Amino acid sequence: MSKVLTIAKRELRSYFDSLVAYVVVGGSMLGLGVWFFLLQQGGFWQIDRASVARMFEFLPWSLSAMVLPLVTMRALAEEKRTGTLELLITMPVTDVDVILGKYLAAMGLVLVLLAATLLYPIALFVFPWHLGALDWGPVFSGYFGTFLLSAAGVGVGLAFSAVSESQIVAFFFTALTLILLHVIGGVVEFFKGPVADVISFISFQTRFAPFARGLIDLRAVVYFASVATFALLFAFRSLESRKWK
Amino acid sequence: MSSDVMIQTQDLSKSYGDFKAVDRISFEVRRGEIVGFLGPNGAGKSTTMRILTCYLAATGGTAKVNGFDIFEDTLGVRRSLGYLPQRAPLYLDMSVLEYLRFAAELRELDEATFKKRARNVVEICGLAQVLGKPIGELSHGYRQRVGLAQALIHDPPILILDEPTSDLDPNEKAEFLEYLKRIGQERTVMLSTHNLNEVETACARAIIVSRGRVVADGALADIRAKSGAVRTTVTVGAQSLAGGSVSEAEVKAALAGVSGATAVNALPAEGSFRFDVTSAQDVDLRADLFRLAVAKGWLLLELAREAQALEDVFRDLTLGDERRNRELSAA
Repeated sequence: MSKVLTIAKRELRSYFDSLVAYVVVGGSMLGLGVWFFLLQQGGFWQIDRASVARMFEFLPWSLSAMVLPLVTMRALAEEKRTGTLELLITMPVTDVDVILGKYLAAMGLVLVLLAATLLYPIALFVFPWHLGALDWGPVFSGYFGTFLLSAAGVGVGLAFSAVSESQIVAFFFTALTLILLHVIGGVVEFFKGPVADVISFISFQTRFAPFARGLIDLRAVVYFASVATFALLFAFRSLESRKWK
Repeated sequence: MSSDVMIQTQDLSKSYGDFKAVDRISFEVRRGEIVGFLGPNGAGKSTTMRILTCYLAATGGTAKVNGFDIFEDTLGVRRSLGYLPQRAPLYLDMSVLEYLRFAAELRELDEATFKKRARNVVEICGLAQVLGKPIGELSHGYRQRVGLAQALIHDPPILILDEPTSDLDPNEKAEFLEYLKRIGQERTVMLSTHNLNEVETACARAIIVSRGRVVADGALADIRAKSGAVRTTVTVGAQSLAGGSVSEAEVKAALAGVSGATAVNALPAEGSFRFDVTSAQDVDLRADLFRLAVAKGWLLLELAREAQALEDVFRDLTLGDERRNRELSAA
């Protein structure tokens, strides 16, 4: 376990040594601000309600399309391209250590970002402003849902980073997959029967929706955790396959 | 014990489809040996090293490193070794000290041991001036030293270095080989290269591979003797002692006629004719060559006998690779 942490620590520091962490956190905060106050129906002020539900409309999208692909694209692809993976893996660490270390680091950065977005509800409803009595229930469940969605998305990103030697390729495939998993919920009304069931089963949007309303859906928890586990197993297998190629 | 076997491979093979990168390689390396692993590019050196360090899996045969099986106990194998892959692929965003600490943590050294070892490797590898610098800002020579330092940080009994000198300038090379000799005093070192001078400088033993197979393995002197040939260089002036002119073809034919000469090769020369006369190792042609020159009235400018250079042996042994490359590129 300590090796996992050593790898995660190195990885996390490299996020902050490069621009990635600042681009991700800064860009997300900026995007969230624009969305929250300005865009769509005139923004937060027009709705005139003590709610940050708008955040949970924005976050899943920005995470899927930008943040998670950005955070995971380098993880293994870059190490394979530059050869540093060879040095890492020939130290006494297991492939599982490597995958979990990278996963933890990416999740760590996502958590930093999520923590930063907490500034919105805090600033508006606790200190320095008190714009009303905020119902914190949906805020926490929304964050929990966002966390689960990220856990699954980071797994998917690592899997693509493990099979690709190019960061760009890893980025696009991850973004594409996550966006697809997300928007697929929007087309469910055009289908009927089992197809519709399957679509709403795999759609991140359908799975995420209850969390934004304050519900913790246990099936969604299991679903996101399964996606993450499956993706990590895939990444592990793909890393291991170097031996036999 | 000086006879401990530290690395042992038995029919080690690695195939990529039909292509055999490593073809039934067997050898042993003992404690305290510095072995040069030689071969042309693509001969299977790196692949063999990657198998020994458990980065790749062999498709056939077995190997043991420090007594650990490369299939059964890969962690044991990796704990026993320090490995420097080709071109020293390090994390460029880390500083030298951070990198060494990272390597030490993955090797499970405690802080006190790390400090002690770090002081030691920093001194051996000459890194004191650059400890705080990001690796990305260092020259190739320094990166190579950092690579060596991380391989030494846990004081491993075995070092595997893949072309550690390929990116270095001549001064750095000489220095690096000097470190290696110091390090190799109490360790087993396996170093791959295609540069023979390095082997002559740093190693007592060489394993030569070509097209995935071992073509020679032994002490350098033995390998050199293996081809069993000796060259005698003869230079004859273009004008004879009497002042008449001498033709190159005439000299060549006469040299080839000397009993014991197996081959005559013309060498470039100006105003004179220069030849390499090859003979069996136990034959000394010099007396006969001198007599020949006297009889013909040639002006003998040079007469020297030299054991065949390692370079020639190497070329003889690995020529198949070169030919194969040409055939492929011609096709």
